[in-house]
Formats: sequence, C-alpha cells, structure tokens
Amino acid sequence: MSLIATEALTKTYGGRVTALSDLTVDVEPGVIGLVGANGAGKSTFIKILLGLLAPTSGSVRVFDLDPTVVPDKVRTRVGYMPEHDCLPPDVSAAEFVTHLGRISGLPRTAARERASEALRHVGLYEERYRQIGGYSTGMKQRVKLAQALVHDPDLLLLDEPTNGLDPAGRDAMLALIHRIGTEFGISVVVCSHLLGEVERICDSLVAIEGGRLLRADRISAMTTASDILAVEVSEGTDELSAELTKQDFTVTRDGRLLLVELSEEDAYDRILRAVADLDLPLHRLDQRRHRVAELFATREKADV
Amino acid sequence: MSEASVIHDIGYQRYDGPRLGRGAVLGAIYIHGLRAAFGFGRSAKSKIFPWLVSGITILVAVILAAVRAQTGIVALNYVQFDDAMSWLVILFVAIVAPELVSRDLRSGVLPLYFSRPLRAADYLGAKFVALVTAVWLVLGVPQFVMFLGAAFTTKTGMSGVWNELGDLLPAWGYTLIWAVVFASLSLLIASLTGKRAFAAGGIVALFLMSTPIFGVLQLLPSRTAQELAGLASPMMLIGGVGNWLFPGHGTGMPIGRFGPVYAIEAATVIAACLLLLLARYRKVASL
Amino acid sequence: MSTVDLNNVSRWYGNVVAVNDVSMTLGPGVTGLLGPNGAGKTTVLHMMAGFLSPSKGKVLLDGAATWRNPAVYSRLGLVNEREAVHGFLTGYEFVHLSAKMHKLPDPAAAARRALERVEMTDAQDRRLETYSKGMRQRIRVAAAMVHDPQVLLLDEPFNGMDPRQRMHMMSLLHALGDRGHTILFSSHILEEVEQVSGTVQVIVAGRLAASGDYREIRRLMTNRPHVFAVQSSDDRRLAVALIGEESVSGVEIDAAGMTVRASDYGSFTRALPRIALKEGIRLRKLLPSDESLESVFSYLLEA
Repeated sequence: MSLIATEALTKTYGGRVTALSDLTVDVEPGVIGLVGANGAGKSTFIKILLGLLAPTSGSVRVFDLDPTVVPDKVRTRVGYMPEHDCLPPDVSAAEFVTHLGRISGLPRTAARERASEALRHVGLYEERYRQIGGYSTGMKQRVKLAQALVHDPDLLLLDEPTNGLDPAGRDAMLALIHRIGTEFGISVVVCSHLLGEVERICDSLVAIEGGRLLRADRISAMTTASDILAVEVSEGTDELSAELTKQDFTVTRDGRLLLVELSEEDAYDRILRAVADLDLPLHRLDQRRHRVAELFATREKADV
Repeated sequence: MSEASVIHDIGYQRYDGPRLGRGAVLGAIYIHGLRAAFGFGRSAKSKIFPWLVSGITILVAVILAAVRAQTGIVALNYVQFDDAMSWLVILFVAIVAPELVSRDLRSGVLPLYFSRPLRAADYLGAKFVALVTAVWLVLGVPQFVMFLGAAFTTKTGMSGVWNELGDLLPAWGYTLIWAVVFASLSLLIASLTGKRAFAAGGIVALFLMSTPIFGVLQLLPSRTAQELAGLASPMMLIGGVGNWLFPGHGTGMPIGRFGPVYAIEAATVIAACLLLLLARYRKVASL
Repeated sequence: MSTVDLNNVSRWYGNVVAVNDVSMTLGPGVTGLLGPNGAGKTTVLHMMAGFLSPSKGKVLLDGAATWRNPAVYSRLGLVNEREAVHGFLTGYEFVHLSAKMHKLPDPAAAARRALERVEMTDAQDRRLETYSKGMRQRIRVAAAMVHDPQVLLLDEPFNGMDPRQRMHMMSLLHALGDRGHTILFSSHILEEVEQVSGTVQVIVAGRLAASGDYREIRRLMTNRPHVFAVQSSDDRRLAVALIGEESVSGVEIDAAGMTVRASDYGSFTRALPRIALKEGIRLRKLLPSDESLESVFSYLLEA
C-alpha cells in the first residue's frame, strides 16, 4: 500500500496563481525527501495532505484515505512539524506537548506519559520543565518534533526541520530523523532545500518545481555508480595524467581530480601501480556516483 | 541464586491505547481555557486580575447579604447586582478574552492545533463555552452568596428559602445572558489581533463608545427613541432583554413594547459574532 | 582589482564582543565567510561596507578606511540578509533607482547592464512582488552592482533558495569572481559554501578561526589523524599490513568496509598504494572522510 498517492493533483488560488499543477506521485513508505521551491508548491501540498485545503482538481490519498472526505482520520495518523515559529513562550515543553497530546485524543495519563517519552526521544531532558521562551533554536525544533510524535503517528511531515540549526545541531536532527524513519518504523516526509541532507537520510525523493513534478524516484536510482573513476593525488597530478594517458586510459581533468574511464576491472590495479611507480601520495580513489544535484543542473534560464 | 541481568527496552513504543473522540478533545480545550481564564497553570501575574475582579464581586455580595441580614433592606436584588457589576465584567472579559484567543494567534500555534483532528468550530466552541462559564462564575457565585445570606436569615422558614430560590434562578438565567453576549463580543474583537493589549483596548473601547450613543438617544424627545436607545449599547441591550424576560425584577429600563426587539437583537448579535469568528478561523485554520 | 583588509579589528557593544581581533585580506575571487549564527559575520560585513566603525583596528578598502568615507560606496556593493523591497516597482525600476542614487551619469544603461549580468533581462518589466525568492535575490544583486563596484559583499545570499536558484546564484558569483571582482558572501550552511568557494574565512564567536582553502586547512591540522574510508578485495589482510605502518594509528572494520586513521598524512598516502600492490590486494575505494567542510568546521569549533 502506498503511503501517499496523488493523481493529476492541481491547486489554483483565485484562478490566477497555480500552486500545484497536474501532480501525479506514488510514494512508498520510508524516508522521503520533498524538494522544491520555497512557498507555493510544498506548503500547498502539505496542507492538502492534511485535509486543510481542497484541491482544485485531481485526487489525493493518504494511507488510502481521502483527506478531503475524512480529514480527521488522516490527521490522527499524521504528525506535522511546521517550518515557522509556532511555540508559545510562556509554557514549559512538558506541559505543551502533553496538552497537544490530549488535543490529539489521548487520555490524560497517556498524554502525559507519551509526552514525556517523546521529549526523551528527541533529546530534551531537564530543560523540558523550563518555559519554551528561553529555549535555543535547536531545542525549539526538538519540541516541534516531539509534539508531532506524541500521538504515535504513522507519518511525519517535517517542514525544513534543520532550519536555523548550526552544523552540530543539524547533524543531530538528521540522525534523529533517520532513526525515526528506520528504527521507530514511522514514515517521514522531509521538506528541505538542502540536497546534501536529502541524499544523506532519504530513501526516495519527490522534486517539485513551479508546481509541477520534476522527478520522483528512489535516491539509489538517482545516485547510481557511473563508469568513471575519480583519482586524486595531493601532488603530481600532471605527471599522473600523462602516465595514465600513455597507458591508453581516457583521462579528463576536473580541478584536482582526474576522471578516468573504467573499462575493465584491472584498471584499478594499473592505476594504483602508476601512482606507486611515480611515488605520489594517493588522496582519493572512488567510483563516481551520480548526485541528486544533477537533477537541477539541466535547465538554464531566468524564470527561476 | 541471582537473577539474570537484562537491558530493558526503552526504545520507541507504539501506542495502542484508546483514542478519545471529539467530546474529549473539546473537554480538554474547555478545561484548558477555563483554567487559563483564572490564571491556573500560568504565572502569578496572570492570576491577579481575574481574582481581583472575582474578589470584588464576592465582597460586594457579602456586603449586600450582611446589610440585608441586619436591616432587611435589599439594596440590590440579584438582577440589579449584575447591572451594577457591569463594568467589572467588561474589564474581566477585556483581559480574559485575549488570554484565550489572542495568545494563540500571536504565538502562531494554530497550525499545531488544526493539523490535529480538531475543527475550527470545535476550537472556538470550547473557548466560547469556557469564557461564558468564567463570566457566569464571576457573577453567579456572588449571587449564590447573596442567596445563602438571605436563606440563612429568612424569617419565614422553608417558604422563604423557596422564595429566594425563585428569585435566584431567573437571575442566574439573566447572568447567563450577560455571559453569552459579552463572551461573543469580546472573543470576536480579541480574535482580530494577536496583541493582547490591543485586544483589551478594543473591547473596552466598544463598550465605552456605545454608552454615549445610548445616552444621546435617551435624551431624544421621542418616547420610541428612548425605549429603543438600549439597542445601541451591549449592556443596555442585556438590560432590555432582562426587563422583557423578568419584568418587575427591576432592571429599571423603560422598553415599552419593544421587549421582543431587544431579544431578537441580542440573539442576532450573538449569532453574528459566532459566525464571524467561525469564518475568520476557518480561514486561519488552513494553516 | 581591489583588496579589503581587516587589521586587528574588534567590535564590541558594551559587554558583547561581536568581533574579536580579526585580521584578514580579501582579494579577487570568491571567499566564503563561514560561521555559526551569531558568530559575527554580519558585523564583519557591515564594517567592510562602512556602516559600522570598528571599536579597535582598521578596516581598509585599497588602503583607505571604509568608515565615514562616502567615496568607498562607489567601489562597494552590499546585499543585506533581509531587505524590504517595494513590491510595486518593476525589476528594472528598482535597479534604475539604485543607479540614480549612486548618481551614475547614465543610470538607464547601467541598470540594463546590471540586469543582463544577473540574467534578469526577460523579467525586468515585471513587478517585484511577482518574483520568486531567487529572482528577487538576483535583482538585489543587480542593484548592488549597478555602479560596477570592485567589491561585492553578500550576507546569507542563499537563504531559503531552492537548489536550482542556488546554483544560478553560485555560477553568477563565480563568473564575477573570475572577472576579477572581490566577492565575499557569508553563510552558516556548509553545504552552500562548499560548493561555491574553496576559500573560506571561518569565524567562531567573534574570532577568526582559520583562513584559506578548507582542504589545506584540514592538512594543517596535524594533531588530528586523517580519517579514510577504504574498500578493497581483502580488507582484513590489508588491515593487518597497514597497522604495521608507523603512519597508521588505527584501523577499524565493519560491514561498510574499513576505516583507517593516519597520523602522518604524507607517509600514509604514499605507503598505501605500495602496500596494496605488494600484498596483491585490489584497492577499490579510498575516500577521505573528514576533509569535508563540515568536519573541518567542527574541528575548528572545538579548537
């Protein structure tokens, strides 16, 4: 059963602004990256998934339920982490998450217990009893994540979860999301404009551009190995290039890297021997993989 | 013999317990709102005002009861008590309505609410009922205190107590009308802004500005105008409805035959406020 | 060709030291000013642009102080992080306005040139409020460049842009840098900096932690063993041979392959091919795992 399935989903506001146009995707459970322009496309998509907006045309199903018909059922199983500030400054995290747990329909004791557990899983310990107003950005992001988890959803919608975090905080958040997607068994949709992050933790990707689907695929399909070997030596790049060309390798230079076409398996050994014979320091030897960023490099012009 | 050592599994647990329906969710918001109205679960500062107002109204009630016990004079009856406390009630809703509604708007927390199985109507309904309850308590409890005072000092035994009850219950109904009208108006104004100070100011302004209009109309030579003057001011509107529903209990407002007009206007005001609130939140609720 | 110099510059606000004894020299090309939020990047940019005076030290553009020096504005362009733009103006009008404010002799021509450089000629007659974020950013760059300054300063220019918009902006900055302009942009997102410029100035809590090419910076950190990910036809045998080498301080094997820690970068990188060949092992992958900007940055933060 697919997680999210849309068919020719279209949303226009007031007949002029087209936020989504003819979007057809079929998303499998797992960790999914949702990449695209800030503003119209992604946020509209999330609102439609939550049943807060009705599509202009086309259909959408979440867990095989139609959010325009049974929004409450869908929202019970979905946790949402908004991008923007949404926390009251004068309550503690423990109290706030408990309250939201009850709004999700949990009985009082269960709400308290699950709130406590959710805060523990996101890494908030004694600070949870202090008022949210005094929290750092990283802590606030964690509170937002905890409230999305408190009612045990089957799907998390995270909108720019690493926004405003420094590299260490970003690392911690990404690791947490990865854990949630793999260990906890909850599917996660991560909206991000940072492709490196998406490549790192997501299994599949949906790229929306100008409201239209650019590509929807598994990350592994977009990062297949190519037949090119990247070789980098910290000195003597020219000599190595000459030597390899002499040995009938096709060599292209890319900054510090030499890109060598891989035709047979023994190429590895021959290249290694060339490096050793020239007594060069080998810094990198790696079969090049395609990158998600290539998806965006093709088009050129202005309307970006 | 020792027990085997074990590392306990405290990983993420799924939840298989009950998930309560709309009723429980509404109840949670209602209780949360009622508590917030009186400052429970918040800082000491937020308790000052509501409790000050409640303290004053109860104090007045105690004084009235004492005076009546001593001298048998009913300085203010139950219904007149409400009218006398009107400004306190205005101040109360001016502070409490923004607490209930403007705070949520300001902190941007509504997406977290509405991404849950919660309709705009549910959210508003619960907050509305919470505010109505709070206002009713601020007036109703003192009225009960007055009743107790009268009941314990009555000279006619059980029939005296029954008499008092017969006066109290309609007055509680009158208090309910107060609560409903004031709650709808103040919630609507508070929902227009996230800044609590502005909301409070707006609510007070509404009542302040309508009083002179009423005053002017009252001075007009036409008797009809005088009788209809009450429609211009919320407090007088309620007074008019009270006079129509409970004639003789002395709200003292001359309304002639226009009782039903007052009632209709009151109902319209309440309905209009609630519908406008709903429309506003439906829009806000789409995140 | 212009040079921006900071000589022992500090800037404080009461007890808050925003910038602490920073010295750097910026030349032609693109440099990334990198640091966590609140590290002092915006303060440095504003001092370079002449909006703030240093509390101590000198900020110089081609030898002249930037503070209280209006002449400096003709050689500098600054694109701030947050700027309100009047939505009702068209792209062309906005850039033209900037040209007029710089008192250029032919503002119309200058505006058109600037718009061409940022590739916004097609959209120049549309109102700003209809622009996407990336387009708006490019217009602001055009407005900041309309007087053809030698130096361009940008504060968090990629904020919130999607990948394609970022790539456009990056190639624009590179093109300008290649043409001899001195470009400094700030960011707290490593991924962005990594792709735009190899040259970084890392600023942490007001202090300049490192300058230069981040890979070379990594190699300067000799007290930290370099970490490599290795895959070969026989990891375990290779591991045994490697641990015998003095330049190797640690070897770890797991499902994904082998991780090698090398205390002596130079010796190890020369020894590895020899050893693999001697043992008859095919080396399939050698990947430095901590030379990324992220690792370099985290090491610098701990310094």
